[in-house]
Amino acid sequence: MNVLPEWELMAPESIDEVRALRAHHPGSRFLGGGTDLVVNLRRGIGDPPAALIDISRVAEMKGISVDGERLRVGAGVTIRELADDPRVRAGFPGLAAAARSIAGPTHRHMGTVGGNLCLDTRCIYYNQSEWWRAANRYCLKYGGEICHVAPKSRVCYATFSGDLAPALAILDAAEVEVAGVEGARTLPLESLHTGDGERYLALEPDELVVAVRARRPAALRTGYDKVRVRRSIDYPLAGVAAGVVREGDRLTDLRLAFTGTNPRPLRLRGTEALCGGPLDDAGMERLSGLVRRQVMAMRTTFTSGHYRRHAAGVLARRLVRRLFDGV
Amino acid sequence: MTEASSEGAPARVRAIGEYVPLVDGPDKVSGRAHYTADLPAAGALAGRILRSPWGHAAIRSVDTSEAQALPGVRAVVTGADCDHTFGVLPIAMHEYPLARGRVRYRGEAIAAVAADDDATAARALALIRVEVEELPAYYTAEAALAPGAIDLHEKRPGNLERDVEFEIGDLDAALAGADLVREKTYRCAEVCQAQMEMHAALADYDPERGRLTVHASTQVPYYVHLMLARCLDLEKSRIRVVKPHIGGGFGCRTETLHVEIVCALLARKAGGAVRLVTTREETFLTHRGRPEQSVRLKLGLRRDGRIAGVECETVQRGGAYSGYGIVTILYSGSLLYALYHLEHVRYRGRRVLTNTPPCGAMRGHGTVNVRFAFEALLDEMAAELGLDPFAVRRANLIDAPAVTANDLLVNSYGLPECLDRVEAASGWRERRGRLPAGRGLGMACSHYVSGASKPVHWTGEPHATVHLKLDFDGSVVILTGAPEIGQGSSTVLVQCVTEVLGVDPGRIRIVASDSEVTPKDNGAYSSRVTVMVGNAAIQAAERLLGTLTEAAARELEVSPGDVEVLGEVYRAGSQDRGLTFDEVAAAALRESGTITVKGNFSTPVEAQGGRKYRGATVGSSTGYSYAAQVVEVSVDEETGQVTVERVWVAHDCGKALNRLAVEGQVQGSVWMGMGQAMSEETGYANGLLSAPNMLDYRVPTIADSPPIDVQIVESNDPLGPFGAKEAGEGSLAGFLPALTSAVADAVALRMDELPVTPDRVWRALERRRREAERAARTKRRGAGNGEPGSASGPGPGAEPGAKPGPATRAGGGRANGAPP
Repeated sequence: MNVLPEWELMAPESIDEVRALRAHHPGSRFLGGGTDLVVNLRRGIGDPPAALIDISRVAEMKGISVDGERLRVGAGVTIRELADDPRVRAGFPGLAAAARSIAGPTHRHMGTVGGNLCLDTRCIYYNQSEWWRAANRYCLKYGGEICHVAPKSRVCYATFSGDLAPALAILDAAEVEVAGVEGARTLPLESLHTGDGERYLALEPDELVVAVRARRPAALRTGYDKVRVRRSIDYPLAGVAAGVVREGDRLTDLRLAFTGTNPRPLRLRGTEALCGGPLDDAGMERLSGLVRRQVMAMRTTFTSGHYRRHAAGVLARRLVRRLFDGV
Repeated sequence: MTEASSEGAPARVRAIGEYVPLVDGPDKVSGRAHYTADLPAAGALAGRILRSPWGHAAIRSVDTSEAQALPGVRAVVTGADCDHTFGVLPIAMHEYPLARGRVRYRGEAIAAVAADDDATAARALALIRVEVEELPAYYTAEAALAPGAIDLHEKRPGNLERDVEFEIGDLDAALAGADLVREKTYRCAEVCQAQMEMHAALADYDPERGRLTVHASTQVPYYVHLMLARCLDLEKSRIRVVKPHIGGGFGCRTETLHVEIVCALLARKAGGAVRLVTTREETFLTHRGRPEQSVRLKLGLRRDGRIAGVECETVQRGGAYSGYGIVTILYSGSLLYALYHLEHVRYRGRRVLTNTPPCGAMRGHGTVNVRFAFEALLDEMAAELGLDPFAVRRANLIDAPAVTANDLLVNSYGLPECLDRVEAASGWRERRGRLPAGRGLGMACSHYVSGASKPVHWTGEPHATVHLKLDFDGSVVILTGAPEIGQGSSTVLVQCVTEVLGVDPGRIRIVASDSEVTPKDNGAYSSRVTVMVGNAAIQAAERLLGTLTEAAARELEVSPGDVEVLGEVYRAGSQDRGLTFDEVAAAALRESGTITVKGNFSTPVEAQGGRKYRGATVGSSTGYSYAAQVVEVSVDEETGQVTVERVWVAHDCGKALNRLAVEGQVQGSVWMGMGQAMSEETGYANGLLSAPNMLDYRVPTIADSPPIDVQIVESNDPLGPFGAKEAGEGSLAGFLPALTSAVADAVALRMDELPVTPDRVWRALERRRREAERAARTKRRGAGNGEPGSASGPGPGAEPGAKPGPATRAGGGRANGAPP
């Protein structure tokens, strides 16, 4: 039987209490829904924390507010709450679709928005038991000297697989509110992830995401899609969020962000080159080129990186076409 | 079970042929059922196993002194504590419960600890020091067979567990006379059962009396009993084996596992009770799944679709120990037969020992991957001949009753009706070839044994024995060793006894699989229980009925032949009020006290197979189930994603004793076949099982499960209980080729490698596109040279008659000059 390590569990009700507890328990970690952290702890991934700070009762981390085109979602909001919120579904359909597509109903019931944004990066050489990783002499991400995915690499390629980050990244002014022992700060969502699979978050150990904010340009049509082997519970082999503005027959704004392929959520660069005219085959060809150059899936799953990059391109083209056509 | 009453007279209860809920259902759905992990056992120690991180190594030393010194540790065992091997086949017992001398796969058990709690046991494992000298490890069959590879086992030179070769008929002549001969190689990834309950045991050793009681999650308590006696040097009479509720087997526990032996070794050393519940990862490592297998198949067909000859050469990567391996590789050959009429067959099967976890007797044992290859190639060749897939099957039916060329007895044969039923249900004739682009229909057939005719431990005893006890309370207790593992065996036995006695089913109770009270049974494997134990139960019930009828006759003062038995009432004539069952039972008990009767069953000699080659009895059975299925898919040609839209399956189970259970078993078989075909594969990274969890080992979820339409076909087998044959395995194998044929129908692409994950399909589509481009270039050049199409053979995916649309744009069909 797998045995969970023992820890002290604390349940503060405000950010100030969270800060105080974190200051007193330097080895503690934050617990949201536990759908990522507890699974990893049970497998012996990471040093067992002496204490867990359960943030599910923290008032400042609850609630969704929608003010016209502005959205604020508390990090403690569950994925299900986000997916079911009628204002989110109406104004931010891409985000709602991403939330709806996460894992199964029980995971969505437990998992939180903050947890999905901070989801640990994944790799078949990392998401294994302690015995397994020891037998394989560990890896760059945890305890080892070598990346088994790219043996010559000095950086870890473990993949970011959260679905919400790309759906938020294509909005305007996407930011995360961060609280730590020293105080609070605001960070562009784009800076939350480092791009290194090992130290994948730009947060200090004592910091946590309190909420995420974003603004939707009025005319932006948004959507989300992903490819998986199974239609539930699997993490995406490739996921894509897209935002499209169409004026008459012209594409005037195009945003794309990917997950499941790189060590961080990937905002596609260079899409403005496709804008200004109709969405034609040449534009689609150009889009494919951008995806090929920027999406860098490695063999961190059973499924080849080559395929995941290809699938990312297919999903992107289809989603953009669908949003542009408004069907 | 229904009670048909007429004119106020009590009627016999009919228990067969209805939808009957399983007798253990209420316990399971309410959570009252105890599995090994939750059996009450106050004070039981926690057991834990240390596993090898090495793929192949000579053990130099195992130092447990630090672990032993840790407070809370009550026992530590290593290979030094047991110098007996174990194994299911008496001719292939090469495995130690804890490794001695060598470890042969990553995950093999080396030592184990029993401690006051799990955390202490885990800490103790970390204190055990193992020194080894690493040896070359072979993770593929090719590597293990390569010249110069060292032997994993002294008794298996060249790492060959078994090399089976036979030829029946004259294959070369047959192929020479065929109108179309094709050869292809198919590859199937290794899969595991992924059953819900992880392996677990609870062992209690009584040092004062020298007795051992073991509860184990097993399909074969009798074999566990034998192996415990062997490995612990205990008299069999000092051991009691109990099988609690079981969360699925599918062949992963069809042989004794190291788990229960190690648990018993710990219990004896600790002088008390030890519970050992393995992790999901350890359950995967214990394995006993379906091996990775390559199948090179050559078929010869006549123009009318009749099969002229079959050549099959197959290699299985068996893993580090023998297990059932010899039987698996024999099944792959013997069950080429008994589905269609075959005369000329050449078979070579090699079972290879490798440094991977040992494979076993997974559902559809030995037959599934070969059947996939056979049906897939048959489908492809039928298309080439312009024959409908149903027509080519109908051209090869067996004229039952018959004995196959390899001496298998086919008494009943419902395949023709299975074909008719799924052809009609799926709308095959109206819909095939008329579906939109990217959508397709495929079909295939399969079969399976209803119980292996010969038990692996040959004792000469009857193949099944059932006791019935009737006592003062008027209850009838069925005592059987047959393990209920979720397949419904206890329900079926209750039904058989109820049907014969015609009584209120509330009288019937069943006690299954406790060696202290139930008669020995070989276990739940090869779909043997319904046929063998069911027949034994019927015989026992008939004997009890005879005793009761005689007692009633004495009371009624008539001859036994004049007693009318109405189940709950025995009477001398329609005007007679008669005697109640309780009165008859009391009368019978006055003669002899508590009544115990017995029923036996043995497979008739004519159903025990032949001697045409070594091992030819493997595959013999009292009867064979038959199945045909149609699968409808849609294929996304850009992402390579295949979606199973719907399945129609017809299964000939002889007689459906319980329609609810049969439908459930058939759906489960189709669904398990779907897992293997679509998404499941174990995978290895340097010999480390890389998907030992339920996220990465991709069993289909309910979201991936299509509607499965089950048609029950009843061919009434003369040797089956009330005509029944097996229902739990035969429908599995057909799914795989039906799926790939449906993919071929949808996008004119033949997938020869399983599972058909999106990346594999996409890669195959890309390969086809490149080959088509190359062929087109060659053709242009060839046309210039006046050599039309000289270099373009029928590439993969070449599919004459494929439907027009995007599917054939890049297909080999056009390169072949087939009409678009």
